[in-house]
Amino acid sequence: MKRDTLVGDKHEEKKPKKGRGLNRWRLLTLGGAFLLVVINPFVTYYLHFTFVQGWYQSLGIGSLWFVSPLEGLESLLISKSFYGPSLVGMAVPVLVALFLGRVFCSWICPVSFILEVQDRIRKVFSGKRYLFNGLIVAKRILWVTLMTEILLSMILGVPLFVFLSPPGLVGREVMMLAFFGSLPLEGGILLLIVMLELLTRRFFCRSFCPLGGLLAFIGRKRNLVIDLADESCSGCRQCDFVCPMGLRPSVGESRGAYCWNCGECVACCDNEALKFHWR
Amino acid sequence: MNRRSFLFCMSAGATALSGIVFSPCGSVAAMFNSPVTTNCLRPPGAVSEELFPSRCIRCGRCVEVCPYRSIVLLDIRAGVYAGTPVVEVDKIPCYLCMKCVDVCPTGSLKRIEQHQTRMGLAVVNKFDCSAWAGTILCRTCYDKCPYPEKAIRLDQLRPVVDEKWCTGCGLCTHACPVTVKKRGKAINIVPLYAEKKVGR
Repeated sequence: MKRDTLVGDKHEEKKPKKGRGLNRWRLLTLGGAFLLVVINPFVTYYLHFTFVQGWYQSLGIGSLWFVSPLEGLESLLISKSFYGPSLVGMAVPVLVALFLGRVFCSWICPVSFILEVQDRIRKVFSGKRYLFNGLIVAKRILWVTLMTEILLSMILGVPLFVFLSPPGLVGREVMMLAFFGSLPLEGGILLLIVMLELLTRRFFCRSFCPLGGLLAFIGRKRNLVIDLADESCSGCRQCDFVCPMGLRPSVGESRGAYCWNCGECVACCDNEALKFHWR
Repeated sequence: MNRRSFLFCMSAGATALSGIVFSPCGSVAAMFNSPVTTNCLRPPGAVSEELFPSRCIRCGRCVEVCPYRSIVLLDIRAGVYAGTPVVEVDKIPCYLCMKCVDVCPTGSLKRIEQHQTRMGLAVVNKFDCSAWAGTILCRTCYDKCPYPEKAIRLDQLRPVVDEKWCTGCGLCTHACPVTVKKRGKAINIVPLYAEKKVGR
C-alpha cells in the first residue's frame, strides 16, 4: 500500500497508463459487433444485400458461416443427428474458446456491449469510481445453468433455451423490428438482464448465461490467461474492485475457469503486475 | 443484501420470466401445438415437423435471405416453436428460388432441387371452386402454377392437381380469386408431408 501511494500519484500525471488502450479496443470491438447485428437486418431488408446474414446464433458471411456452439450442440443432442456443415460452423467458435477462453462474452457479445455502456452511464451518474455489487451468487451456479439448460431441452424435445440465450436474442429483436416492425415479447429477458445489472455487475453473465457456461467449460484449460507477477504487485486490490465478474485477480483467480479475459484488471493495474500470458 | 431481499428478488425474477414465457400462449398445451396448418407451411426442403423444431436453431437466416419476404419468423406466441420459419402462402407464396435451403446451417432445410420441393399438397375444394361449380370459366391456378400441365392440369376446363408434381409452393392459393370464410381459398395447400413420421 505504501509503495503504491508513493509511486501511483506521479505515475498518472506523467504518462497515460499503457493498459487504457486495452479497454478502448474492447469497447470498439464490442461496438463493432453490436453495430453489425443492429445494422445488418436493415441493410438486408431495404437494400436486398444478403452477403451477411444472421447474428450470433448463426452468422453467415458469404458462404462462410459460424454456428453458436450452444445452439449447435442442443440441435445435435435433441435431434440426435449429425449435420456436417453445422459441425464445421461450430469449429471456429469452439477453437477460439478452447485457446482464448470466454472471449466471445467480453469482446463480441451484444449484451455485453449494452451492459458496458450501462456501466459507463452509471459511473457518470453515480460519480463513483467502482460500481457496487449488491448481490453475489455462487459462481458454480454457472455449471448448474448449463446442465439445466441442456437437460431441460432434451426432456422437452425442443431447444427451449435457444430463444432464452440473450446474445442471439438481441439479433432476433432487431431483425424482427426490421422485417416485421414488431418487437417480440421474449425481449423482456433483455430488460430483465439490464435491470439485474443495477443490482450487481454482470449478474446474468456471471452465473445464468447458458452460452457463457458452455464457453467457460470449453475454455477452462485455455492458453490465454491473465497472470499476476507477485514481485511487482503492490497489493492495492484495484483489480478486485474493477473486475466485472467479481473475481479477485490479486489472489490469482484470473487463472480459473470463471475469468473471461476482458482485461479490465490489466488496464487498471498501475504497476503492470497483471499481464496477458500464453501458457 | 439480506436473505429476505434476496428471496424477493429471485421470486420476482422467476415470476417475470414465467409470465413472459407462458402468458402469450394461452395455455401450456398450446405451447406445444405445431404452427404448421393449412396454408401455413415450412419453407422448402424442411425435415418432417416431428424433427424440425428440435433441429432448427432459430437463426433466422432463411428469413433474411428470402427475396420475396415469403418466410415469416414466428414469435413467442407460437410457444416452443418461437423463432422457427413458416410460409403463409395465402399472404405471400413461395416462388421456389431455393435460396433458403442453401443458407440453413443445421440442415433443417435440406438442400434439394426445385422440383423436389414438397411443402404440402394443393387441394381443390370442389364446392367452392367456380370452375368446378360451373359458375365461371376460371383457370387462374392453372395459369399461375410453375409446373402447368404437370402439377395442375385442366380436366374438362376444371383444375385437377397431380400429387406427383405439386410442390406446395402456394402460387395457386395466392392467386385464387375465391375466398370463403373459415375455409380459405378454393384451392388450399395442406401440409401432408410435414406430418410424416421420422423413419428411424
